[in-house]
Amino acid sequence: MLASASASASFLPRPKPKPHLLKRLASALTPPSPLSPSTGADPDPDQDPTPLFLRPPAHPVPAPSLAAFRRRAAALVPPSAPHLHRHLRWLLADAAHDPDADPALLRAPLGDLEALWLRHVRDRRPFQYVVGNEHWRDLVVAVREGVLIPRPETEAVVEMVGRVEGFEAGWWTDLGTGSGAIAVAVARMLGPEGKVFATDVSEVAIEVARLNVQRYGMQDKVQIRHGSWFEPLEDLKGKFMGVISNPPYIPTDDLPGLQPEVGWHEPKLALDGGKDGLDHLLHLCEGLSSVLKPGGFFVFETNGNKQSEFLVDFLSTKWDSSFHDVEAVLDFADIKRFVTGYRR
Amino acid sequence: MASRLLTRSTAARLLSHLRFSRALNPSDHLPAHGAGLATLLAPGRGLPAAAKPCPTRDPTRWFSSPAAVAEAPTTADGLTVDSIAGKGWTILPEAESDWRSHAAAVAQSVKLIKKRLKWGWILERSRQLSVVLERPDLWDDTVFAGKVSREHGELMGKIKSVNQFEQELMEHIDMLRLAREEDDNELETETMRALADMRRSAKEKELNALLSGNNDSFSCFIEVQAGAGGTESMDWAAMVMNMYRSWAQQRGYTVTIVEEMPGEVAGIKRATIKVDGEYAFGYAKAEVGVHRLVRISPFDSGKRRHTSFAAVAVIPILGDSSTRYQIKDSDLRIERFRSGGPGGQHANCTESAVRIVHIPTGITATCQNERSQHMNKASAMAVLQSRLDQLEIARQAQMNADHTQSLSEISWGNQIRSYVLHPYRMVKDLRTNYEVSDPDSVLNGELDDFILNFLSTSLDEADGSP
Repeated sequence: MLASASASASFLPRPKPKPHLLKRLASALTPPSPLSPSTGADPDPDQDPTPLFLRPPAHPVPAPSLAAFRRRAAALVPPSAPHLHRHLRWLLADAAHDPDADPALLRAPLGDLEALWLRHVRDRRPFQYVVGNEHWRDLVVAVREGVLIPRPETEAVVEMVGRVEGFEAGWWTDLGTGSGAIAVAVARMLGPEGKVFATDVSEVAIEVARLNVQRYGMQDKVQIRHGSWFEPLEDLKGKFMGVISNPPYIPTDDLPGLQPEVGWHEPKLALDGGKDGLDHLLHLCEGLSSVLKPGGFFVFETNGNKQSEFLVDFLSTKWDSSFHDVEAVLDFADIKRFVTGYRR
Repeated sequence: MASRLLTRSTAARLLSHLRFSRALNPSDHLPAHGAGLATLLAPGRGLPAAAKPCPTRDPTRWFSSPAAVAEAPTTADGLTVDSIAGKGWTILPEAESDWRSHAAAVAQSVKLIKKRLKWGWILERSRQLSVVLERPDLWDDTVFAGKVSREHGELMGKIKSVNQFEQELMEHIDMLRLAREEDDNELETETMRALADMRRSAKEKELNALLSGNNDSFSCFIEVQAGAGGTESMDWAAMVMNMYRSWAQQRGYTVTIVEEMPGEVAGIKRATIKVDGEYAFGYAKAEVGVHRLVRISPFDSGKRRHTSFAAVAVIPILGDSSTRYQIKDSDLRIERFRSGGPGGQHANCTESAVRIVHIPTGITATCQNERSQHMNKASAMAVLQSRLDQLEIARQAQMNADHTQSLSEISWGNQIRSYVLHPYRMVKDLRTNYEVSDPDSVLNGELDDFILNFLSTSLDEADGSP
């Protein structure tokens, strides 16, 4: 499905680099003309950092113009990529206050929307970056270039936390929080004593996580700290009921083969797990005992079967004295996606 | 039992004669089994109109008997609703100030309302339930006891509301005669106006009585499935689904798409919408069955006339948790869309459809409308729950005759309505023979007349005892 989308994408015109300029200066007069092959997609430097779906609906567009856009946009969708029709529907839902109103109030000028759609269809820029959000569990998580888009598999992590006895009152840490999705979802389940400390080394991630925490009113429950893995938690050693992390785990050699939406657009920092993909996971395992309380719980997401089996074996043989009930947990596709366990 | 009914009816008769003494203690008229039951008898969802304030009642409200009386209220000289209706008094327009005409109109309405409520059946059922309620070991099974007392309460609420209405009519008639005897013009005008008001609210109650089924007040799912015949019938199914969406929106219901299987070329193979709002099920259940379309198919290059079919099922969303089917987690198999491959950080996929299979019954539910798997799962669970509830309702169908068929049970022979766009234009309901010559308005959601016609025909023709 995706491969064919990319094949047909090559027939489409290439975008101009600055969609807003395109619109303001040229779009009315000249049709978009092919440019040199694009080099993947760096975030537009002067693009509005506010996610599209949160911008004010300040651009009235008459219904016929919007309908014409809809037709043009749909015409770009190859029959082999029906999911793009869904994306178009969602794009309009997110970009317009009420897409059926006349005039519809858009959150970006129609020309920008057109450019965004082209970049999605042609450059394989992830749909989530286009609208600036990902619907994840019952949350609408703001995302943008520079943070990993939360994956559906990861939704299960929150349920695992919810099954830990007494989790409501505990202190939790989400290491490498990215968009803050896990931190916010966990925080929303906690009782008055519960807290989440979310760390990330990326400044963009810190900014986006802060936005998401704010959007869900979790400022009192979630503390965001800037730094690598355990570093910002020096003062909280031995205080945590649980450690959660979805660290980069893809082996470096696999990165070039990733689907374009991921490989070309998502941050390497959040994907690259080193030679075997285990660099960060092993680092996290080593730090566990110092931050967890006795009896504390941990859950890591991994690259799947082999990594999980390795980690389970590693933790329950080498560090048998520190951990118990270490096991690999299946995701919905029956892949051993998670490793969980308890500190002794 | 019989003796108590006798005493109660005697009390009622006494009361209607002595009703100028206002100091009567209402609790004297409660059935013998005590104060505990009094709370159980509180009307639950009774007649929809019972909740609406009825301005006519106010001046005479305190005359009414507080007891729910199964026997017919009478006037001082022994008139009852039945005898009034039987007198054949001419019913004149509302504007005419003739008390006989007003009384006859109200009496006719009361008879119709009773028929629609299946009066004989609810009297019998409430008697049976009160016997059960008196069993000393009833509350050993609290779930059962709760069900019984709730149903009893609802039935008593309906009975009471109708009886009060009858009582009110009798009181007005007596009052009018009294006014005439005493030459009290003011009282006479006032009573005449009250009778005219009763006539109007009786019409409203007639309509509301159409929706007195057990589950009528709930929201519902509407499912549409295309019949054989490829693209043409898939397009027809989409038209039918659109008709319901517009109908529901015009009625002020909230509509959400739960599941949609698009056809390859056009239309839908099957779709489910959720219609949220009061009495959505009560109305929509009239649409269950097969809808037939005759037209020149836009998908036929030979411009030939085609006949296609779409099946419609309607499932109530039960609000009351105690009557719901209990689903065990271990009975579920949850299938999610998976892109294949290694998943996790490797994949970016916005497809998040979830399908849930209830293993013991084989019933499934799918949701793909939401943007996260978590939400799709929650929606699919709600659909599954309602399908299983429907199964449970079907199991109890002999009792309350409130069963609507699921898509799989609807036979394609069970046509309920024909929509003809060519060679002439007409929509005709095959159950009621109601027809209109403007198919466009119907396809745009103007279904109320069809629905009300069907509801009244099916209830009024049913063999309900008076």
